Amino acid sequence: MTAGPAPLTTHAEPVMGTVFSVTAVHGALAPAEVRAAITAACRILHQCDAVFSTWDAASPVSRFRRGEAALGQMPPEFAEVLRACEAAKEASGGWFDPWAMPGGFDPTGLVKGWAAKRALDELRGAGLPGALVNGGGDVAVFGAPGDGERWRVGIRHPWRADALACVIEATAAVATSGPYERGAHLIDPATGRPASRAASATVTGPSLALADALATGVAVGGDEALAVVAALDGYAGYLIRHDGSETDTGGIAFAR
Amino acid sequence: MKRAGWYMVTGAVAGFAGVLGFHSVGTATPAALGPLTPAGTGATPAPSGTAPGPARTAGPAAGQGGAAGPARTATGAVEQYGYGELSVTVTVRGSQITAVSVPLLRTAEQYSQQLALQVIPMLRAEVLAAHSVRIHGVSGATYTSVAYAQSIQSALDKLHAR
Repeated sequence: MTAGPAPLTTHAEPVMGTVFSVTAVHGALAPAEVRAAITAACRILHQCDAVFSTWDAASPVSRFRRGEAALGQMPPEFAEVLRACEAAKEASGGWFDPWAMPGGFDPTGLVKGWAAKRALDELRGAGLPGALVNGGGDVAVFGAPGDGERWRVGIRHPWRADALACVIEATAAVATSGPYERGAHLIDPATGRPASRAASATVTGPSLALADALATGVAVGGDEALAVVAALDGYAGYLIRHDGSETDTGGIAFAR
Repeated sequence: MKRAGWYMVTGAVAGFAGVLGFHSVGTATPAALGPLTPAGTGATPAPSGTAPGPARTAGPAAGQGGAAGPARTATGAVEQYGYGELSVTVTVRGSQITAVSVPLLRTAEQYSQQLALQVIPMLRAEVLAAHSVRIHGVSGATYTSVAYAQSIQSALDKLHAR
């Protein structure tokens, strides 16, 4: 993988309170062009962060949460994310609900995936034959890592940071959620209280924004929420329960 | 279920190898399971009177009981695991782990104990050593910048950094 017809460049960008990883396939592009594409993709990530950071009290999303700014005063991306949140709430059967978060509307469970996809689109537009963007654990890919190859995405083992539970051959989006990294941040929309009925929840599908939201929903709702994902066209789910048993909806290409 | 029972058992053994330092227990063969007693001392007692049973067969442990000999139980040394101390007892029959229990668990606070009791019985999901499989990225719950530094994704990113 280090040499050969399809050289790769990787880049790690700290943004949105985590680290985004970019893997770019060069194809016919010169190294300088690849670097320029990665720089442009990272600029988009920082623009998304500036709009949607709930940590920055002056960000548009923070002002919206406090009721200081109306929707009409928001940047255009905000309305787009709002629509994506509405669609994700409906698709998840209510297990993902940014309006039920403590402290008001909080699209965080969807924004990283949405931003990673925008960065990926920038790389595609720059003429790269393939790329992978990993938004702190939520992965979007296009193209292929090399001739005849497929993107292989490991699913982190929920109680072993240095191990994987399985490997998935990805064609678009792979998002995973669970309580193991940041503790009780998963909120049950029905109660407004922390809840996680899965140790790890992974959702694959065409849109990383929706997959990200659905993975959050399945991490909260467990098997019941997984059944909702199973009924969605193009989406599939894989969950590890707290007792270590696993299940999936079918439709995921597990690699060995 | 997407995988056969055999892999689940292998996963359990690999999980213990990582958590408790049973490094010799890498594969679930009778020979490898010999050094289970006691963990951490390097002692390797022969599995007395136990002919190695037919390995690589999935199925209930009871089905192998006759051929594989009596159940053997071993309790690992008390280990520090990050939130406190624990010790684990494993019962093996032939090549299969038939029971796991936690006779000692000391944690600093109530929350850790709840967390540990939640986590310890859960060793059934497969554990793949990350260095043994070829991957391009890792999907997982959102990590902090600090956790990223210790992650598999971080190691991958260093591979082709320019």
